Amino acid sequence: MKKNNIEGWVFVSPLVIWISLVILVPIYIAFELSLFNVKIIGTTGKYVGFDNYIKLFGKSKFINASLNSLYWVIGNAICQTFFAFTIALTINYKFPGKKIMANWIILSFIIPTVVVVVIWKLMLSSSSGVINSILIDLKILDEATGFFSSPNKAFISLVLINSWRWSPFLALIILSGLNAINREMYDASKVDGANFIQQFFFITFPNLKSVLFVLGLVGTLLSFNIFDIIWLITKGGPSNATTTLPLLIYETAFTKFRISQAATLSIITSFLLLIFSIIFIKSMAPKEDD
Amino acid sequence: MIKENNIKFIFLTISVLLIILIFFFPFFWIITSSFKSPEEIIATSTTIIPRSFTLEHYNKILFSSDFFIYLKNSLIVSFSSMIISIILSLSAAYGLHKLKFYGNKFVEYSLLVTYAFPGVILLVPIYLLFAKINILNSYFALIIVNVLFATPFAVWMLKAFFKLIPNEIEEAAYIDGASRYVVISRIVVPLAAPGIASVSIFCFIISWTEYLFASILISGDNLKTLPVGLASIVGQYQIDWGFLLSGAVLASLPVILLFIFIGKYFVSGLTEGAIK
Repeated sequence: MKKNNIEGWVFVSPLVIWISLVILVPIYIAFELSLFNVKIIGTTGKYVGFDNYIKLFGKSKFINASLNSLYWVIGNAICQTFFAFTIALTINYKFPGKKIMANWIILSFIIPTVVVVVIWKLMLSSSSGVINSILIDLKILDEATGFFSSPNKAFISLVLINSWRWSPFLALIILSGLNAINREMYDASKVDGANFIQQFFFITFPNLKSVLFVLGLVGTLLSFNIFDIIWLITKGGPSNATTTLPLLIYETAFTKFRISQAATLSIITSFLLLIFSIIFIKSMAPKEDD
Repeated sequence: MIKENNIKFIFLTISVLLIILIFFFPFFWIITSSFKSPEEIIATSTTIIPRSFTLEHYNKILFSSDFFIYLKNSLIVSFSSMIISIILSLSAAYGLHKLKFYGNKFVEYSLLVTYAFPGVILLVPIYLLFAKINILNSYFALIIVNVLFATPFAVWMLKAFFKLIPNEIEEAAYIDGASRYVVISRIVVPLAAPGIASVSIFCFIISWTEYLFASILISGDNLKTLPVGLASIVGQYQIDWGFLLSGAVLASLPVILLFIFIGKYFVSGLTEGAIK
Protein backbone atom coordinates (compact mmCIF):
# COMPACT_ATOMS: atom_id res chain seq x y z
CA MET A 1 0.00 0.00 0.00
CA LYS A 2 1.15 3.50 -0.83
CA LYS A 3 2.22 5.61 2.13
CA ASN A 4 0.45 8.91 2.75
CA ASN A 5 2.91 10.34 5.21
CA ILE A 6 1.89 13.98 5.27
CA GLU A 7 -1.84 13.45 5.01
CA GLY A 8 -1.79 10.71 7.62
CA TRP A 9 -0.06 12.91 10.14
CA VAL A 10 -2.39 15.82 9.38
CA PHE A 11 -5.33 13.65 10.43
CA VAL A 12 -3.66 12.20 13.48
CA SER A 13 -1.78 15.22 14.78
CA PRO A 14 -4.59 17.20 16.48
CA LEU A 15 -5.22 14.31 18.87
CA VAL A 16 -1.55 13.40 19.18
CA ILE A 17 -0.66 17.00 20.07
CA TRP A 18 -3.51 17.27 22.59
CA ILE A 19 -2.55 14.03 24.34
CA SER A 20 1.18 14.70 24.29
CA LEU A 21 0.74 18.17 25.79
CA VAL A 22 -1.50 16.90 28.56
CA ILE A 23 0.81 13.98 29.36
CA LEU A 24 4.36 15.07 28.55
CA VAL A 25 4.32 18.57 30.05
CA PRO A 26 3.00 17.31 33.40
CA ILE A 27 5.47 14.42 33.36
CA TYR A 28 8.29 16.92 32.83
CA ILE A 29 7.00 19.04 35.71
CA ALA A 30 6.76 15.96 37.90
CA PHE A 31 10.31 14.92 37.05
CA GLU A 32 11.64 18.38 37.86
CA LEU A 33 9.74 18.37 41.17
CA SER A 34 11.07 14.95 42.08
CA LEU A 35 14.60 16.39 42.12
CA PHE A 36 13.68 19.06 44.63
CA ASN A 37 12.37 19.02 48.13
CA VAL A 38 9.04 20.83 47.76
CA LYS A 39 6.40 20.33 50.40
CA ILE A 40 3.39 22.59 50.07
CA ILE A 41 2.14 23.47 46.59
CA GLY A 42 3.38 26.85 45.45
CA THR A 43 6.50 26.97 47.61
CA THR A 44 10.03 26.25 46.38
CA GLY A 45 12.32 23.67 47.89
CA LYS A 46 16.02 22.98 47.65
CA TYR A 47 17.66 20.78 45.03
CA VAL A 48 18.23 17.26 46.34
CA GLY A 49 19.09 15.30 43.18
CA PHE A 50 17.92 11.70 43.25
CA ASP A 51 17.56 11.65 47.04
CA ASN A 52 13.78 11.30 46.85
CA TYR A 53 14.14 8.19 44.72
CA ILE A 54 16.71 6.55 46.97
CA LYS A 55 14.72 7.26 50.12
CA LEU A 56 11.55 5.89 48.55
CA PHE A 57 12.82 2.36 48.05
CA GLY A 58 13.53 1.96 51.75
CA LYS A 59 10.05 3.10 52.75
CA SER A 60 7.77 0.31 53.93
CA LYS A 61 4.73 2.34 52.82
CA PHE A 62 5.95 2.30 49.24
CA ILE A 63 6.63 -1.44 49.29
CA ASN A 64 3.27 -2.11 50.95
CA ALA A 65 1.41 -0.03 48.35
CA SER A 66 3.25 -1.68 45.45
CA LEU A 67 2.32 -5.13 46.73
CA ASN A 68 -1.28 -4.03 47.27
CA SER A 69 -1.37 -2.75 43.70
CA LEU A 70 -0.02 -6.04 42.43
CA TYR A 71 -2.66 -8.01 44.36
CA TRP A 72 -5.30 -5.53 43.24
CA VAL A 73 -4.48 -5.98 39.54
CA ILE A 74 -4.27 -9.77 39.81
CA GLY A 75 -7.44 -10.06 41.91
CA ASN A 76 -9.38 -7.87 39.52
CA ALA A 77 -8.06 -9.73 36.49
CA ILE A 78 -9.22 -13.06 37.88
CA CYS A 79 -12.65 -11.83 39.02
CA GLN A 80 -13.34 -9.79 35.93
CA THR A 81 -12.28 -12.55 33.54
CA PHE A 82 -14.62 -14.93 35.32
CA PHE A 83 -17.60 -12.53 35.44
CA ALA A 84 -17.06 -11.15 31.96
CA PHE A 85 -16.82 -14.56 30.33
CA THR A 86 -19.86 -15.81 32.21
CA ILE A 87 -21.89 -12.81 31.06
CA ALA A 88 -20.61 -12.92 27.48
CA LEU A 89 -21.17 -16.65 27.02
CA THR A 90 -24.62 -16.42 28.61
CA ILE A 91 -25.76 -13.53 26.44
CA ASN A 92 -24.38 -15.36 23.42
CA TYR A 93 -27.15 -17.96 23.91
CA LYS A 94 -30.81 -17.47 23.09
CA PHE A 95 -33.22 -17.15 26.02
CA PRO A 96 -36.29 -15.03 26.76
CA GLY A 97 -35.25 -11.52 27.76
CA LYS A 98 -31.81 -11.85 26.19
CA LYS A 99 -32.10 -8.56 24.29
CA ILE A 100 -33.04 -6.58 27.39
CA MET A 101 -30.24 -8.16 29.37
CA ALA A 102 -27.70 -7.47 26.61
CA ASN A 103 -28.74 -3.82 26.42
CA TRP A 104 -28.92 -3.12 30.14
CA ILE A 105 -26.17 -5.28 31.61
CA ILE A 106 -23.86 -2.32 31.12
CA LEU A 107 -25.82 -0.25 33.65
CA SER A 108 -23.14 -0.69 36.31
CA PHE A 109 -20.58 0.83 33.94
CA ILE A 110 -22.54 3.89 32.79
CA ILE A 111 -23.46 5.23 36.23
CA PRO A 112 -20.99 7.45 38.10
CA THR A 113 -18.49 5.61 40.30
CA VAL A 114 -19.81 7.56 43.25
CA VAL A 115 -23.19 5.90 42.69
CA VAL A 116 -21.48 2.49 42.64
CA VAL A 117 -20.01 3.42 46.01
CA VAL A 118 -23.40 4.47 47.37
CA ILE A 119 -25.04 1.23 46.16
CA TRP A 120 -22.49 -1.04 47.81
CA LYS A 121 -22.07 0.99 50.96
CA LEU A 122 -25.79 0.58 51.52
CA MET A 123 -26.00 -3.07 50.46
CA LEU A 124 -22.96 -4.09 52.50
CA SER A 125 -23.65 -1.91 55.53
CA SER A 126 -22.98 -3.82 58.72
CA SER A 127 -25.94 -2.41 60.61
CA SER A 128 -28.72 -2.49 58.02
CA GLY A 129 -27.28 -3.94 54.83
CA VAL A 130 -29.45 -6.25 52.77
CA ILE A 131 -26.54 -8.62 52.04
CA ASN A 132 -26.02 -9.19 55.74
CA SER A 133 -29.69 -9.93 56.33
CA ILE A 134 -29.84 -12.29 53.34
CA LEU A 135 -26.74 -14.16 54.54
CA ILE A 136 -28.20 -14.41 58.03
CA ASP A 137 -31.56 -15.65 56.68
CA LEU A 138 -29.73 -18.30 54.67
CA LYS A 139 -27.88 -19.29 57.87
CA ILE A 140 -24.52 -18.61 56.21
CA LEU A 141 -23.74 -16.02 58.88
CA ASP A 142 -24.74 -16.01 62.54
CA GLU A 143 -24.56 -12.27 62.98
CA ALA A 144 -23.99 -9.21 60.81
CA THR A 145 -20.41 -8.80 59.66
CA GLY A 146 -18.53 -5.64 58.68
CA PHE A 147 -17.40 -6.16 55.11
CA PHE A 148 -14.80 -3.41 55.36
CA SER A 149 -13.70 -3.98 58.93
CA SER A 150 -10.76 -6.36 58.54
CA PRO A 151 -7.89 -5.90 56.05
CA ASN A 152 -8.66 -9.05 54.04
CA LYS A 153 -12.42 -8.61 53.97
CA ALA A 154 -12.06 -4.98 52.89
CA PHE A 155 -9.64 -5.85 50.10
CA ILE A 156 -11.79 -8.67 48.73
CA SER A 157 -14.98 -6.61 48.98
CA LEU A 158 -13.35 -3.80 47.01
CA VAL A 159 -12.07 -6.17 44.32
CA LEU A 160 -15.59 -7.56 43.94
CA ILE A 161 -17.19 -4.12 43.81
CA ASN A 162 -14.73 -2.92 41.19
CA SER A 163 -15.27 -6.10 39.17
CA TRP A 164 -19.01 -5.56 39.40
CA ARG A 165 -18.51 -2.18 37.77
CA TRP A 166 -16.19 -3.27 34.96
CA SER A 167 -17.16 -6.84 34.02
CA PRO A 168 -20.28 -6.02 31.98
CA PHE A 169 -18.33 -3.61 29.79
CA LEU A 170 -15.58 -6.19 29.25
CA ALA A 171 -18.26 -8.79 28.56
CA LEU A 172 -19.61 -6.73 25.66
CA ILE A 173 -16.15 -6.44 24.17
CA ILE A 174 -15.64 -10.20 24.50
CA LEU A 175 -19.05 -10.62 22.89
CA SER A 176 -17.86 -8.63 19.89
CA GLY A 177 -15.03 -11.11 19.53
CA LEU A 178 -17.45 -14.03 19.88
CA ASN A 179 -19.65 -12.60 17.15
CA ALA A 180 -16.71 -12.45 14.80
CA ILE A 181 -16.06 -16.20 15.14
CA ASN A 182 -17.29 -18.21 12.20
CA ARG A 183 -20.38 -20.22 13.24
CA GLU A 184 -19.39 -23.05 10.89
CA MET A 185 -16.42 -23.92 13.08
CA TYR A 186 -18.80 -24.86 15.89
CA ASP A 187 -20.97 -26.94 13.59
CA ALA A 188 -17.95 -28.73 12.14
CA SER A 189 -16.58 -29.50 15.61
CA LYS A 190 -19.98 -30.82 16.68
CA VAL A 191 -19.93 -33.27 13.78
CA ASP A 192 -16.55 -34.39 15.05
CA GLY A 193 -18.08 -34.98 18.47
CA ALA A 194 -16.70 -32.04 20.47
CA ASN A 195 -18.69 -31.00 23.56
CA PHE A 196 -19.20 -27.39 24.60
CA ILE A 197 -16.29 -27.35 27.02
CA GLN A 198 -13.91 -28.55 24.30
CA GLN A 199 -15.43 -26.00 21.94
CA PHE A 200 -14.68 -23.26 24.43
CA PHE A 201 -11.02 -24.15 24.81
CA PHE A 202 -10.26 -25.08 21.19
CA ILE A 203 -12.42 -22.67 19.19
CA THR A 204 -13.73 -19.80 21.33
CA PHE A 205 -10.66 -18.99 23.35
CA PRO A 206 -8.01 -19.09 20.57
CA ASN A 207 -10.21 -16.98 18.30
CA LEU A 208 -10.49 -14.25 20.90
CA LYS A 209 -6.76 -13.58 20.93
CA SER A 210 -6.79 -10.06 19.52
CA VAL A 211 -9.67 -9.02 21.79
CA LEU A 212 -7.98 -10.51 24.81
CA PHE A 213 -4.74 -8.73 23.92
CA VAL A 214 -6.39 -5.32 24.08
CA LEU A 215 -8.36 -6.26 27.19
CA GLY A 216 -5.28 -7.63 28.89
CA LEU A 217 -3.32 -4.45 28.27
CA VAL A 218 -5.98 -1.80 28.74
CA GLY A 219 -7.74 -3.74 31.49
CA THR A 220 -4.59 -4.08 33.56
CA LEU A 221 -3.74 -0.40 33.23
CA LEU A 222 -7.31 0.63 33.97
CA SER A 223 -7.62 -1.44 37.09
CA PHE A 224 -4.22 -0.30 38.26
CA ASN A 225 -5.47 3.28 38.03
CA ILE A 226 -8.65 2.76 40.06
CA PHE A 227 -8.79 5.38 42.75
CA ASP A 228 -12.28 6.64 43.52
CA ILE A 229 -13.93 3.35 44.51
CA ILE A 230 -11.20 2.56 47.04
CA TRP A 231 -10.83 6.10 48.34
CA LEU A 232 -14.54 6.71 48.83
CA ILE A 233 -15.14 3.42 50.62
CA THR A 234 -12.12 2.66 52.79
CA LYS A 235 -9.76 5.65 52.36
CA GLY A 236 -7.00 3.01 52.04
CA GLY A 237 -7.67 1.36 55.39
CA PRO A 238 -8.02 -0.60 57.59
CA SER A 239 -4.33 -0.28 58.51
CA ASN A 240 -3.31 0.57 54.92
CA ALA A 241 -4.54 -2.79 53.62
CA THR A 242 -6.26 -1.17 50.65
CA THR A 243 -3.71 1.58 49.98
CA THR A 244 -2.63 0.97 46.40
CA LEU A 245 -0.06 3.16 44.64
CA PRO A 246 -2.68 5.63 43.31
CA LEU A 247 -3.98 6.13 46.84
CA LEU A 248 -0.49 6.55 48.22
CA ILE A 249 0.27 9.24 45.63
CA TYR A 250 -2.96 11.05 46.43
CA GLU A 251 -2.39 10.87 50.16
CA THR A 252 1.21 12.01 49.91
CA ALA A 253 0.25 15.01 47.81
CA PHE A 254 -3.09 16.15 49.13
CA THR A 255 -3.31 15.07 52.73
CA LYS A 256 0.36 15.04 53.76
CA PHE A 257 1.39 17.86 51.38
CA ARG A 258 4.69 16.32 50.32
CA ILE A 259 4.54 17.35 46.70
CA SER A 260 8.04 16.27 45.72
CA GLN A 261 7.57 12.84 47.23
CA ALA A 262 4.28 12.44 45.39
CA ALA A 263 5.93 13.51 42.14
CA THR A 264 8.69 10.94 42.68
CA LEU A 265 6.07 8.26 43.24
CA SER A 266 4.27 9.33 40.06
CA ILE A 267 7.44 9.11 37.99
CA ILE A 268 8.36 5.67 39.31
CA THR A 269 4.82 4.40 38.80
CA SER A 270 4.63 5.65 35.22
CA PHE A 271 7.98 4.07 34.54
CA LEU A 272 6.79 0.71 35.89
CA LEU A 273 3.58 0.85 33.85
CA LEU A 274 5.49 1.82 30.72
CA ILE A 275 7.80 -1.14 31.11
CA PHE A 276 4.86 -3.44 31.70
CA SER A 277 3.15 -2.12 28.54
CA ILE A 278 6.22 -2.51 26.36
CA ILE A 279 6.81 -6.08 27.52
CA PHE A 280 3.13 -6.90 27.10
CA ILE A 281 2.95 -5.47 23.57
CA LYS A 282 6.24 -7.05 22.48
CA SER A 283 5.31 -10.49 23.74
CA MET A 284 1.55 -10.64 23.24
CA ALA A 285 0.67 -8.43 20.28
CA PRO A 286 -1.24 -10.52 17.74
CA LYS A 287 0.34 -10.74 14.28
CA GLU A 288 -1.40 -8.47 11.78
CA ASP A 289 -2.79 -10.38 8.85
CA ASP A 290 -3.77 -7.47 6.60
CA MET B 1 -26.93 -35.38 22.86
CA ILE B 2 -29.95 -34.96 25.11
CA LYS B 3 -27.75 -35.12 28.16
CA GLU B 4 -25.46 -32.37 26.91
CA ASN B 5 -28.44 -30.13 26.14
CA ASN B 6 -29.74 -30.66 29.66
CA ILE B 7 -26.44 -29.63 31.19
CA LYS B 8 -26.37 -26.57 28.95
CA PHE B 9 -29.90 -25.66 30.00
CA ILE B 10 -29.05 -25.93 33.69
CA PHE B 11 -25.88 -23.88 33.26
CA LEU B 12 -27.75 -21.24 31.29
CA THR B 13 -30.58 -20.97 33.83
CA ILE B 14 -28.20 -20.68 36.75
CA SER B 15 -26.06 -18.05 35.09
CA VAL B 16 -29.06 -15.99 33.91
CA LEU B 17 -30.44 -15.98 37.45
CA LEU B 18 -27.09 -15.14 38.98
CA ILE B 19 -26.54 -12.30 36.53
CA ILE B 20 -29.96 -10.86 37.36
CA LEU B 21 -29.28 -11.18 41.08
CA ILE B 22 -25.76 -9.71 40.98
CA PHE B 23 -26.01 -7.10 38.25
CA PHE B 24 -29.66 -5.97 38.32
CA PHE B 25 -30.96 -6.49 41.84
CA PRO B 26 -28.73 -3.72 43.35
CA PHE B 27 -30.44 -1.18 41.09
CA PHE B 28 -33.88 -2.35 42.15
CA TRP B 29 -32.68 -2.05 45.72
CA ILE B 30 -31.39 1.53 45.67
CA ILE B 31 -34.27 2.81 43.55
CA THR B 32 -36.90 1.35 45.89
CA SER B 33 -34.88 2.39 48.95
CA SER B 34 -34.79 5.99 47.76
CA PHE B 35 -38.59 6.05 48.24
CA LYS B 36 -38.53 4.43 51.69
CA SER B 37 -38.93 6.27 54.93
CA PRO B 38 -35.64 7.07 56.72
CA GLU B 39 -36.50 4.53 59.43
CA GLU B 40 -37.01 1.72 56.94
CA ILE B 41 -33.75 2.43 55.09
CA ILE B 42 -31.69 1.88 58.22
CA ALA B 43 -33.92 -0.83 59.73
CA THR B 44 -32.05 -3.99 60.69
CA SER B 45 -34.73 -6.32 59.36
CA THR B 46 -35.06 -5.83 55.64
CA THR B 47 -37.80 -7.00 53.33
CA ILE B 48 -37.54 -7.11 49.54
CA ILE B 49 -40.93 -5.41 49.08
CA PRO B 50 -40.84 -1.83 50.44
CA ARG B 51 -43.17 -1.12 53.36
CA SER B 52 -43.24 2.65 53.15
CA PHE B 53 -43.41 5.23 50.37
CA THR B 54 -42.27 8.82 50.57
CA LEU B 55 -41.07 11.57 48.26
CA GLU B 56 -39.41 13.55 51.05
CA HIS B 57 -35.86 12.70 49.96
CA TYR B 58 -36.46 13.85 46.40
CA ASN B 59 -38.17 16.93 47.68
CA LYS B 60 -35.19 17.76 49.80
CA ILE B 61 -32.56 17.18 47.11
CA LEU B 62 -34.44 19.01 44.34
CA PHE B 63 -35.65 22.00 46.30
CA SER B 64 -33.21 22.54 49.13
CA SER B 65 -29.81 21.54 47.81
CA ASP B 66 -27.38 22.61 45.09
CA PHE B 67 -28.44 19.72 42.87
CA PHE B 68 -29.33 21.84 39.83
CA ILE B 69 -26.05 23.76 39.95
CA TYR B 70 -24.10 20.49 39.98
CA LEU B 71 -26.31 19.09 37.22
CA LYS B 72 -25.70 22.14 35.02
CA ASN B 73 -21.93 21.89 35.55
CA SER B 74 -21.88 18.18 34.79
CA LEU B 75 -23.91 18.68 31.62
CA ILE B 76 -21.70 21.51 30.33
CA VAL B 77 -18.47 19.64 31.03
CA SER B 78 -19.69 16.31 29.65
CA PHE B 79 -21.18 17.70 26.43
CA SER B 80 -18.16 19.85 25.63
CA SER B 81 -15.77 16.98 26.37
CA MET B 82 -17.83 14.66 24.22
CA ILE B 83 -17.88 16.98 21.20
CA ILE B 84 -14.16 17.72 21.32
CA SER B 85 -13.33 14.03 21.86
CA ILE B 86 -15.44 12.97 18.90
CA ILE B 87 -13.92 15.49 16.51
CA LEU B 88 -10.36 14.64 17.52
CA SER B 89 -10.85 10.89 17.49
CA LEU B 90 -12.80 10.83 14.21
CA SER B 91 -9.93 12.53 12.52
CA ALA B 92 -7.29 10.35 14.17
CA ALA B 93 -9.20 7.13 13.61
CA TYR B 94 -9.67 7.92 9.93
CA GLY B 95 -5.98 8.71 9.55
CA LEU B 96 -4.96 5.50 11.27
CA HIS B 97 -7.47 3.42 9.37
CA LYS B 98 -7.18 4.72 5.84
CA LEU B 99 -3.82 6.39 5.50
CA LYS B 100 -0.88 4.13 6.13
CA PHE B 101 1.84 6.54 7.19
CA TYR B 102 5.24 6.32 8.75
CA GLY B 103 4.73 5.70 12.46
CA ASN B 104 1.08 4.64 12.37
CA LYS B 105 1.64 1.47 14.43
CA PHE B 106 3.58 3.52 16.96
CA VAL B 107 0.73 6.04 17.28
CA GLU B 108 -1.79 3.23 17.60
CA TYR B 109 0.01 1.43 20.41
CA SER B 110 0.92 4.70 22.13
CA LEU B 111 -2.77 5.52 22.24
CA LEU B 112 -3.46 2.23 24.00
CA VAL B 113 -0.61 2.82 26.42
CA THR B 114 -1.95 6.32 27.08
CA TYR B 115 -4.28 4.54 29.44
CA ALA B 116 -1.23 4.02 31.61
CA PHE B 117 -0.68 7.69 32.27
CA PRO B 118 -4.02 9.14 33.19
CA GLY B 119 -5.29 8.63 36.67
CA VAL B 120 -3.55 9.64 39.79
CA ILE B 121 -0.08 9.63 38.26
CA LEU B 122 -0.90 12.81 36.37
CA LEU B 123 -2.91 14.37 39.15
CA VAL B 124 -0.15 16.24 40.98
CA PRO B 125 1.69 17.57 37.91
CA ILE B 126 -1.53 18.52 36.11
CA TYR B 127 -2.69 20.36 39.20
CA LEU B 128 0.56 22.31 39.27
CA LEU B 129 0.50 22.97 35.53
CA PHE B 130 -3.08 24.23 35.61
CA ALA B 131 -2.28 26.39 38.61
CA LYS B 132 0.63 27.90 36.69
CA ILE B 133 -1.43 28.73 33.60
CA ASN B 134 -4.33 29.82 35.77
CA ILE B 135 -7.09 27.50 34.64
CA LEU B 136 -7.84 25.78 37.94
CA ASN B 137 -11.50 26.20 38.81
CA SER B 138 -12.76 26.29 35.25
CA TYR B 139 -14.80 23.99 33.04
CA PHE B 140 -11.89 24.00 30.64
CA ALA B 141 -9.60 22.28 33.14
CA LEU B 142 -11.97 19.33 33.38
CA ILE B 143 -12.59 19.21 29.62
CA ILE B 144 -8.86 18.97 28.89
CA VAL B 145 -8.55 16.00 31.19
CA ASN B 146 -11.74 14.23 30.11
CA VAL B 147 -10.72 14.35 26.46
CA LEU B 148 -7.48 12.68 27.43
CA PHE B 149 -9.38 9.86 29.15
CA ALA B 150 -11.97 9.32 26.44
CA THR B 151 -10.08 9.53 23.17
CA PRO B 152 -7.73 6.50 23.21
CA PHE B 153 -10.57 4.01 23.43
CA ALA B 154 -12.79 6.14 21.17
CA VAL B 155 -10.17 5.97 18.40
CA TRP B 156 -9.90 2.23 18.81
CA MET B 157 -13.68 1.78 18.54
CA LEU B 158 -14.09 4.18 15.61
CA LYS B 159 -11.34 2.46 13.68
CA ALA B 160 -13.23 -0.81 14.00
CA PHE B 161 -16.39 0.85 12.68
CA PHE B 162 -14.53 2.31 9.71
CA LYS B 163 -13.33 -1.18 8.82
CA LEU B 164 -16.95 -2.20 8.25
CA ILE B 165 -17.39 0.35 5.45
CA PRO B 166 -16.67 -1.38 2.14
CA ASN B 167 -13.65 0.10 0.43
CA GLU B 168 -15.41 0.06 -2.96
CA ILE B 169 -17.86 2.80 -1.98
CA GLU B 170 -15.06 5.21 -1.19
CA GLU B 171 -13.05 4.19 -4.25
CA ALA B 172 -16.06 4.81 -6.48
CA ALA B 173 -16.47 8.30 -5.06
CA TYR B 174 -12.81 9.13 -5.72
CA ILE B 175 -13.17 7.95 -9.32
CA ASP B 176 -16.12 10.31 -9.68
CA GLY B 177 -13.76 13.09 -8.66
CA ALA B 178 -14.83 13.61 -5.04
CA SER B 179 -12.27 15.17 -2.71
CA ARG B 180 -11.13 13.61 0.56
CA TYR B 181 -13.27 16.10 2.47
CA VAL B 182 -16.42 15.22 0.50
CA VAL B 183 -15.80 11.49 0.90
CA ILE B 184 -15.42 11.83 4.65
CA SER B 185 -18.39 14.13 5.24
CA ARG B 186 -20.80 12.53 2.75
CA ILE B 187 -19.83 8.86 2.87
CA VAL B 188 -17.66 7.83 5.81
CA VAL B 189 -19.37 9.78 8.59
CA PRO B 190 -22.97 8.92 7.57
CA LEU B 191 -22.12 5.24 7.12
CA ALA B 192 -20.35 5.11 10.47
CA ALA B 193 -23.16 7.03 12.21
CA PRO B 194 -24.24 4.20 14.55
CA GLY B 195 -20.61 3.75 15.49
CA ILE B 196 -20.16 7.45 16.07
CA ALA B 197 -23.30 7.47 18.23
CA SER B 198 -21.96 4.69 20.43
CA VAL B 199 -18.53 6.29 20.73
CA SER B 200 -20.23 9.56 21.68
CA ILE B 201 -22.07 7.83 24.50
CA PHE B 202 -18.81 6.32 25.67
CA CYS B 203 -17.13 9.76 25.74
CA PHE B 204 -20.11 11.27 27.54
CA ILE B 205 -20.10 8.52 30.17
CA ILE B 206 -16.36 8.91 30.80
CA SER B 207 -16.82 12.60 31.55
CA TRP B 208 -20.09 12.16 33.42
CA THR B 209 -18.59 9.69 35.88
CA GLU B 210 -15.19 11.34 36.38
CA TYR B 211 -14.59 12.10 40.04
CA LEU B 212 -10.89 12.34 40.91
CA PHE B 213 -9.82 15.31 38.81
CA ALA B 214 -13.11 17.10 39.32
CA SER B 215 -12.57 16.89 43.07
CA ILE B 216 -9.05 18.34 42.94
CA LEU B 217 -9.12 20.81 40.06
CA ILE B 218 -12.38 22.48 41.15
CA SER B 219 -12.74 24.07 44.54
CA GLY B 220 -15.50 26.60 43.97
CA ASP B 221 -18.92 25.33 45.05
CA ASN B 222 -20.62 26.84 42.01
CA LEU B 223 -18.46 24.81 39.59
CA LYS B 224 -18.63 21.38 41.24
CA THR B 225 -19.91 18.42 39.24
CA LEU B 226 -22.52 15.89 40.38
CA PRO B 227 -20.11 13.10 41.42
CA VAL B 228 -18.14 15.53 43.60
CA GLY B 229 -21.31 16.93 45.14
CA LEU B 230 -22.55 13.43 45.87
CA ALA B 231 -19.21 12.27 47.26
CA SER B 232 -19.24 15.06 49.82
CA ILE B 233 -22.38 13.47 51.31
CA VAL B 234 -20.81 9.99 51.28
CA GLY B 235 -17.93 11.27 53.38
CA GLN B 236 -20.09 12.62 56.17
CA TYR B 237 -19.96 10.86 59.51
CA GLN B 238 -23.72 10.59 59.88
CA ILE B 239 -24.92 9.65 56.40
CA ASP B 240 -28.40 10.86 55.47
CA TRP B 241 -29.18 7.75 53.44
CA GLY B 242 -32.44 8.93 51.92
CA PHE B 243 -30.84 12.14 50.70
CA LEU B 244 -27.83 10.24 49.36
CA LEU B 245 -29.87 7.56 47.60
CA SER B 246 -32.19 9.99 45.87
CA GLY B 247 -29.10 11.94 44.80
CA ALA B 248 -27.53 8.76 43.42
CA VAL B 249 -30.66 7.92 41.45
CA LEU B 250 -30.92 11.45 40.06
CA ALA B 251 -27.22 11.54 39.13
CA SER B 252 -27.65 8.33 37.15
CA LEU B 253 -30.84 9.46 35.45
CA PRO B 254 -29.31 11.55 32.63
CA VAL B 255 -27.01 8.76 31.41
CA ILE B 256 -29.85 6.27 31.70
CA LEU B 257 -32.17 8.52 29.66
CA LEU B 258 -29.46 8.98 27.04
CA PHE B 259 -28.97 5.25 27.03
CA ILE B 260 -32.70 4.55 26.49
CA PHE B 261 -32.58 6.51 23.24
CA ILE B 262 -29.21 5.61 21.79
CA GLY B 263 -28.12 2.77 24.04
CA LYS B 264 -28.94 0.05 21.55
CA TYR B 265 -26.44 1.59 19.13
CA PHE B 266 -23.87 1.53 21.89
CA VAL B 267 -24.37 -2.12 22.71
CA SER B 268 -24.80 -3.36 19.14
CA GLY B 269 -21.95 -1.13 18.03
CA LEU B 270 -19.75 -2.55 20.72
CA THR B 271 -20.73 -6.15 20.12
CA GLU B 272 -21.09 -6.26 16.36
CA GLY B 273 -18.58 -3.79 15.05
CA ALA B 274 -15.77 -3.52 17.48
CA ILE B 275 -13.56 -6.37 16.35
CA LYS B 276 -13.18 -7.35 12.76
